[in-house]
Amino acid sequence: MTTSCFHCLEPVPPGFSAHVQFEGQPQPVCCTGCQAVAETILAQGMSDYYKFRTDSAGKVEELVPEQLKELLSYDNAEIQQDFVSQQGELQEVLLSVEGISCAACAWLIEKQLLGLKGVARVDVNTSTHRAMILWQPQQCKLSDIIKSLHQIGYKAYPFQADDEAAQKQTVAKAYLRRLGVAGLMTMQVMMFAFAMYFGMFSGMEDNFEQYFRWISLFLASPVILYSAMPFLTNAIKGLKAKQLNMDLPVSLAIFGAYAASCYATVMSVGEVYFESICMFTFLLLLGKYLEFRARLKASEFTANLQKLLPLTARKLLPDGEQKIVAAKSLQLSDQIMIKPGETIPADGVLISGSTTVDESMMTGEHLPVKKYQTHQVYAGTINHDGVITIEINKVGQNTLLNQIIKLQHNALTKRPKIVEVTDKVAQWFVACLLIFASITAVAWYQIDPPHAFWVTISVLVATCPCALSLAIPTALTCSVATLTRKGILIKESHVLETVPKLTRMAFDKTGTLTEGRFSIESISILDKSWQESDVMELAVALERYSEHPIAKAFTEQLVSPRQLSDVEVVTGSGVKALFNQQPVAIGKSAWFGNHSSFAQATLFVDDQPVADFYLADKVRHSAPEIIHYAQGQGLSCHLLSGDSSNAVKDLALELGLDTYKNACSPQDKQQQVESWSAQQHIVGMVGDGVNDSPVFNSAHLSIAMETGADISKNTADVVLLNSDLKSLQTLHLVAKKTKTVIKQNLALSLCYNGSILPLAAMGLVPPWVAVIGMSASSILVITNSLRLLKL
Amino acid sequence: MSIIYILIPIAILFVIIAIGVFFWAVKSEQFSDLNKQGHSILFEDDKEQHNKSNDRDKSI
Repeated sequence: MTTSCFHCLEPVPPGFSAHVQFEGQPQPVCCTGCQAVAETILAQGMSDYYKFRTDSAGKVEELVPEQLKELLSYDNAEIQQDFVSQQGELQEVLLSVEGISCAACAWLIEKQLLGLKGVARVDVNTSTHRAMILWQPQQCKLSDIIKSLHQIGYKAYPFQADDEAAQKQTVAKAYLRRLGVAGLMTMQVMMFAFAMYFGMFSGMEDNFEQYFRWISLFLASPVILYSAMPFLTNAIKGLKAKQLNMDLPVSLAIFGAYAASCYATVMSVGEVYFESICMFTFLLLLGKYLEFRARLKASEFTANLQKLLPLTARKLLPDGEQKIVAAKSLQLSDQIMIKPGETIPADGVLISGSTTVDESMMTGEHLPVKKYQTHQVYAGTINHDGVITIEINKVGQNTLLNQIIKLQHNALTKRPKIVEVTDKVAQWFVACLLIFASITAVAWYQIDPPHAFWVTISVLVATCPCALSLAIPTALTCSVATLTRKGILIKESHVLETVPKLTRMAFDKTGTLTEGRFSIESISILDKSWQESDVMELAVALERYSEHPIAKAFTEQLVSPRQLSDVEVVTGSGVKALFNQQPVAIGKSAWFGNHSSFAQATLFVDDQPVADFYLADKVRHSAPEIIHYAQGQGLSCHLLSGDSSNAVKDLALELGLDTYKNACSPQDKQQQVESWSAQQHIVGMVGDGVNDSPVFNSAHLSIAMETGADISKNTADVVLLNSDLKSLQTLHLVAKKTKTVIKQNLALSLCYNGSILPLAAMGLVPPWVAVIGMSASSILVITNSLRLLKL
Repeated sequence: MSIIYILIPIAILFVIIAIGVFFWAVKSEQFSDLNKQGHSILFEDDKEQHNKSNDRDKSI
């Protein structure tokens, strides 16, 4: 039985033995990193963390001196300008913290940081994975704070919230305040309303009733004048844009009934409707707030991933010295040095060194690109294996990355809006309601002028589209919550409506249908005196020294590697070394000039080829299942890949896809999807790279994988957080169910409104019947929607 | 019964205070992460011991 690490709960590798003392018992750990962290946590009296955590901590990597130096650059005032703000004597920073998994983490972080001298306040948010810290700059440095987080196993980066995110936070708070006022006040008003209903049956003294009315007026006023204000402003905005929106009858009913009730209170005639309009306001606000929160959560999640560009750069001064500067301060023709593993901070031309660069976030293709002198490199891409110097030739808005982001924004604003069912229904309903109410008013004015106003108001209240306006938002909110729980992020409200209508699905290859990771498909032994297992052990030993993505396919193999000496990594060719005084090497087939094949790697002994390794990208295990499901649902499935190799055809045949297209540029993909749309097909696109983001804008529904590029995740309508294609099936099922529930809700509310309308118009509906009817229909609709939470 | 003329305004006063407290809570971000606040009660507050051990770390 393998034991699991006390800190990160991952299996302890065989042969590694280290322990920490917890409550008198030795507990195993899996690496020195976890040991150091666990010891720090236990030594500082924070052992509660291990008692109450509900999720495992991430595996801990130790800081290398290079990273520590980079941390120090965060103390630079010029660099701090971008993310540190001054709050009186204190400084404030927002950190995005990797590895927060549950409430225990938040407690641990707060406790650790508050123990530092000079830290005044720490606020950890476990849903957004961010920490807000207020500290005194004289007593404590930012790098100390980040270092102390590392000590307990969390990686932190300064986070810069953009204006949009800040605005959304303000809106969220405003919603909460409005909701709070409406909730508390509605409770009070209801209390008095009940007193008055009972008074109506048992007889109540007139002066008491009048007193209750005044109290209700006083309590209801903040609800109407503060909480319900957004409905009125929305309705006015809609009118200005010559549109009848759902907010119009809602605000007519609320404000009309409020005005009428105020009139009734002051003049002591007629009925008051304070309790109905308060409850109506509260329920509507609640629905809207929940819907907003679901969307906010989705956007916060993606914003956290936007750490595309590094904050600092290593600038080479004319005298040859290196200086760490803020990446933002870089100028044209500055020279900067980039070490392996670092993200390139600006677009530039390579002037010395050679390397391979991971451009997958730009192109979506996972194979690294070789770069030599005079080649262009792009900001946001990752330098793989060489130390390079570049001369900057584009900064700020002109970098390729920023241009892509700009294109995205343009495309988003021009995106054809799918006309939502909600809007259509609402437009018609509102128009009918207004016409009906005016007819009632006119008719009653002819028959019985003193009653005309009251009957009209009771028409508006009784038929108040409460249930109708709750019908769609509550159903959507419930299913969005269910989907979020299952790791499916919905970013656009139209998604659930579009999914059941889909007729075609298009998939990207690398990283979507396949895992974007290489694995060894077959080995062909060229020198028969070698055994496959010996070849494998030697290959694994050699590839351990390589950073190339292909090497990962080898290092994942479970064999015990051989001992090597004099290892040398030859850039662009492979790795060579001595094994038992015999020269061995692994790398591209043509390395020693006497062998060529289609294999991605060849093993050489004494410069003679011994074995060829054929690699393949692994097909996601859920891919065949999901394609089978989609075809079973009558959807046709297509493969659109930027890859030009035969692998595309093989994959399409293996999975039984309807058509496939290889060597697609982003424009090709876009054109293909647009031509399908022109044939009245509703197209869904699943992808992961930046090259998929233009096509995301053309497709009716776009789905991105969590492992994909940040830009594609920002554009997509749906993000699959667990990168599991099976989620598509869940999404489809939930969407279909949601559609059914929405239909039921609409039918229910239209039935209620339709039947009460003529009665109210005839003046047959007393206020308490109207209130019960309205509440009952709303509750019915909400209960029906709640069924979606249990999927 | 005329006591309600006084008691109800007092009750309303309480509601107004409650709203004030609620506004303060919203402002100090207590509702931004309900998950964390719900768990915080589980942890023992041995802050002093923790501070001491942190100070000791620094002096080393």
